[in-house]
Amino acid sequence: MSERTPVDLLPSRSPVAGLRRRGLTFAEVLAQSVSALAPSAAMVTVPAIVLVQAGAATLPGLVAATVLVLLVGWCLTHFARRMAAVGGTYSYTAKGLGPVGALFGGWALAVGYGAVSMSALVGAALYLAGLVGLGTSPPVVAATAAVVGLAVVVTTVRGIQLSARVALALEVLSVGLVAAVLVVLLLSPRGGTGATAVVDAAVRPEGLAFAVVLGVTAFMGFESATTLGVEARRPLVAVPRAVLWTPAVAGVLVVLAAAAQVVLLRRAPLDVLTGPVPVGELADREGLAVLGRLLDAGIAASFTACVTGSTNALSRVLFTMGREGVLPRALGRTHPAFDTPHVALGVVLPAVVGVPVVALLTGARPRPVLTATLTVSAFGYVVAYVLACLAVPLFLRRIGELTRGALVAGTAAGVLWTLGLVAALLAAPGRGAGAASAAFLASLVPAVAWVVLLRVRAPGRLAAVGLYDSPTPASVAPGQRARARRGGGR
Amino acid sequence: VTPGVDRGLTGRQPKAVQSALAVLEEVARAGAGVTAKEVAEELGLPPATTYRLLNLLVGEEFLVRLPDLHGFALGRKAASLAGGPGLLQVPTAVREVVAEIRGRVRHGVHLVLVAGTTLHPADTDPDHPLRSPELLQRHLHASAVGKVLLADAPDWRDVVHPRRLQALTARTVTRGADLEAELRLVRARGCAVQGGQLHEDVSCAAVPVRSPAGVLVGVLAVSAAGADPGPCAAAAATLGDPAVRLGPLLG
Repeated sequence: MSERTPVDLLPSRSPVAGLRRRGLTFAEVLAQSVSALAPSAAMVTVPAIVLVQAGAATLPGLVAATVLVLLVGWCLTHFARRMAAVGGTYSYTAKGLGPVGALFGGWALAVGYGAVSMSALVGAALYLAGLVGLGTSPPVVAATAAVVGLAVVVTTVRGIQLSARVALALEVLSVGLVAAVLVVLLLSPRGGTGATAVVDAAVRPEGLAFAVVLGVTAFMGFESATTLGVEARRPLVAVPRAVLWTPAVAGVLVVLAAAAQVVLLRRAPLDVLTGPVPVGELADREGLAVLGRLLDAGIAASFTACVTGSTNALSRVLFTMGREGVLPRALGRTHPAFDTPHVALGVVLPAVVGVPVVALLTGARPRPVLTATLTVSAFGYVVAYVLACLAVPLFLRRIGELTRGALVAGTAAGVLWTLGLVAALLAAPGRGAGAASAAFLASLVPAVAWVVLLRVRAPGRLAAVGLYDSPTPASVAPGQRARARRGGGR
Repeated sequence: VTPGVDRGLTGRQPKAVQSALAVLEEVARAGAGVTAKEVAEELGLPPATTYRLLNLLVGEEFLVRLPDLHGFALGRKAASLAGGPGLLQVPTAVREVVAEIRGRVRHGVHLVLVAGTTLHPADTDPDHPLRSPELLQRHLHASAVGKVLLADAPDWRDVVHPRRLQALTARTVTRGADLEAELRLVRARGCAVQGGQLHEDVSCAAVPVRSPAGVLVGVLAVSAAGADPGPCAAAAATLGDPAVRLGPLLG
């Protein structure tokens, strides 16, 4: 018994200690993923854009997109059932691809969370300002964005539970509002033919591809529960569940909303489709302006929750990197009373609020800022997902638990999503998103410099990459024997 | 392999329950660090089934996946299972130390053993019996013994749900922040004291008993009638030396 067992070697303290442990219920963990995904904003904006390009391929395309996202979700559960991570897919990637792959994936993930926070902030400000009748001129939207940003600072620093509950309430409210508006519009008696030529346009391969690629972007952020490994109760059960349920529920919501909009737009005039929110436009024209306002309120709520969810996730990724030492250690500090990564939040939030506010104040129109940041974030997420999925079979092989299903799923997800990414990067310039894809590629340059610098100057720190909430002596039964050596006597 | 595996097992799947228990038993038998592959080979279970059961047992904290991510060990819930009432043998040397304290302290003196996150009143005072061992075991936030256990956990919220701090009397601490402050005090003083929190008219004080490796293996407690914890606290101040002597005998 003099031999030291693996249990004796456990660190006395979790390497990610400091966050409030095991406080979040499953509903609150789910809220994190759902809010970062922002389902109601996706329900009213995505189907309309897809319809214009894909016609009758819209519904099959969105179903295929849901399946593709579920495939990634299933891949991520292989990690989520085995390690309680705070760095999300960044920490997962480290266990399969090693530190260099993880740092690229983590950087891309941070770009994804950061850019979508900016996008959602502009979105929230745009709809809020419109709702209260302030108009949507850039300075007004900038001022509203600053106010929303301040509210987000307070809730995210004050505690993960508060922000998760606020996000959950906002999401329930907004999905309810959007569903109610769609149902009322469907029930309002109205004949006539409208945009059938567009809505029922024949299925073309490129239309279908567009529907799948754009549809997939509606789900970005669904994985963000993977940053709550410390804060969730029973994380190895709750997190994988949230990662599968979120895209499943969001998929049903988006497909149903798309089906409703197909019916509605069939009998609507063609020019309705050119606006950003055709459902709202439709409500206005039917003389149901109040429905249009409700819809705006729902979208504003959803965007606000998305800012909260995405900044929470981003701050925890940076917190992990701070603890590992690949970013300044100060980022790994937590608030003594609120147990939140307040330093990381303090770095993240000024950037998330500052960039769009400055862009708007220097004359950019709100909607282009919203779509450009959204496009950049989509690229970031996809790179992070691809790397994490490719890491699955490597990780499972390393720990000796590889199954055929995981090998096929991880490889298929990695390859399919890479194809989608390449297609989107190639098609982006033609669709007016060339600047966004260039911006994303440019954002990867510092990542290369960062990784090279670490490799040359501090290779020791790279070894720390992949920290998660690993067990301590308190989590194991005391007095266990070490495993007998194989082949030898006991 | 289906995505729904972590939804758990129903009572109509006796085979799965048997397999899960066999996996648990095999990890206990093989020792800390055993891998999933070894468990599957030893039990003759299909690998995918074994991985699923292991993940399930880890999710429920009966097992722990060690930091290398491929070795397994028994979790603290498994320790709670093992230390059921009646199974714990208290060595004679331990009983002698406790009897010696009873000879000089006028209040009830009890030795409660700790297995994982559960308490086992192993040697309770026959002259001043515990009013309710069940309440003591169930409501860790309300007793001095329970507070010693909670103060020892890296985070007490892992052990008791912060929103289920039931009020047993008007004095019971029911707010998470208040309990947090009390536990901080317990850690600082190395002693927990409470008056009238579990039963209206009983007070109690408790000190930890640690193995030479520093693991909490038991709690030595003094209980007295009345809601004023002063007398108990005074008696508990003399328990430091016996607690140190009990440590190597128990761990």
